Amino acid sequence: MEKPKALVDETKCLACGGCISVCPQDALLMYGGRAYVIARKCISCAICIKICPVGAICEEGH
Amino acid sequence: MEYDAVVVGSGPAGSITARFASELGAKVLIVERRAEVGVPVLCGEGVSQKIDKWNILEGSRWIANKVDGARIFSPDKTMVKIAADMAGNETGYVVYRDIFDQELARSAVKAGAKLMLKTEAKELIIEKGKMAGIKVKQLNDTFEIKADIVVGADGVESKIGKWAGINTTLKPYDIETCAQYTLTNVDCNNNYCDFYLGNKIAPGGYVWVFPKRKDEANVGIGILGSLSEKGMALKLLDKFIADHPELKKGEPVRLIAGAAPVAEPVQTVKDNLILVGDAARHVDPITGGGLTTSLEGGKIAGHTIGNAVKKQRFDKETLSTYETSWKKAFGKKLHRNYVVKEIMLDFDDKTLNMLADSVKDYNFQEFSTLSLVKALVFKHPTLLKKLAPLIKLV
Repeated sequence: MEKPKALVDETKCLACGGCISVCPQDALLMYGGRAYVIARKCISCAICIKICPVGAICEEGH
Repeated sequence: MEYDAVVVGSGPAGSITARFASELGAKVLIVERRAEVGVPVLCGEGVSQKIDKWNILEGSRWIANKVDGARIFSPDKTMVKIAADMAGNETGYVVYRDIFDQELARSAVKAGAKLMLKTEAKELIIEKGKMAGIKVKQLNDTFEIKADIVVGADGVESKIGKWAGINTTLKPYDIETCAQYTLTNVDCNNNYCDFYLGNKIAPGGYVWVFPKRKDEANVGIGILGSLSEKGMALKLLDKFIADHPELKKGEPVRLIAGAAPVAEPVQTVKDNLILVGDAARHVDPITGGGLTTSLEGGKIAGHTIGNAVKKQRFDKETLSTYETSWKKAFGKKLHRNYVVKEIMLDFDDKTLNMLADSVKDYNFQEFSTLSLVKALVFKHPTLLKKLAPLIKLV
């Protein structure tokens, strides 16, 4: 089974941009004032999940 | 071309670049994706008082407080104090970053720069193999802005550099992930910027308490990305506040998150392209502070652009004056502090306590990380032997 991709909870995101700056696939961008994961680019490395200071990113389906 | 230079981002680095390029006669446009310059604030808001010497900010509306110095607390609460009276009375300010940024943008506009809000860079325009501006989205419109030089002042998450083929992706060990409350109804009778170190308090980083006024302070945390787990920064910050009664009684009027590069600078120049500020990783890797280097670098970038416009030459060679000059101004310092960062990451709490104890009565000559590092190297030449050659360089 494919590993779950990252998903931003837009109610928690404070738009600091940390996740965007560490994403090795350039799969994150700021969209509508919140971070947004481009699912087709995401390789499920979870670096963004660990880096988020407020815990706004989780694995899809969790 | 519509513009000589288009600057992406209206933070301090972007505005100061635009200002000094405009003052030399360049036609400059700043684009900002947000609806207000400087908002939301993404910063601890502490800055060295050496910015006074540069005369780049008018008035004092941007100053919240002038502090008496800095205090560093090791895990066992041993205090190292760098006070104003020892350091030529030059310490630091706690600022209102929104007003600070707006003042810098205002001076850029006064010098002739144009500024567009709610305008987001979407991609670079390449014509005949050369960069020729950017494509932007502004509300519901998408259009092109033609310019001879594109300036990436788009912060820690910079896309401009990436689009131009510069690898700006930060490794988790090269980023501090941060959270900060502005707490009101706290007790700031000690008018110092405080730093708390410890692997349990803030792994690979520190907690700061910067007083904005008698009863208000920015209380924040930065932890190293490689040591972070989901939501750890905010959790540890909440714990720190809960453990400190003088802060616990306060209430938050603001919560922000942030990310600071603590990396070696990237390549900052290409044909028709310049990177400044956080986008260039012009941040002190020890403190995560980037205001002074961004302003210093931005001023140099502005001059370089102004001269390039006069010569009508926008190739890498011409723009490289910027890279050579910022390296001369603060390149060594950034490299040295990167090495310090790496060495410090190996220190456990016991070592931090021992180091703090050894310099707690030291008479610091200057309000800077360098004076602290010099003192530590002086006291512990073996432990910090990797640093000795770097200190001599300065």
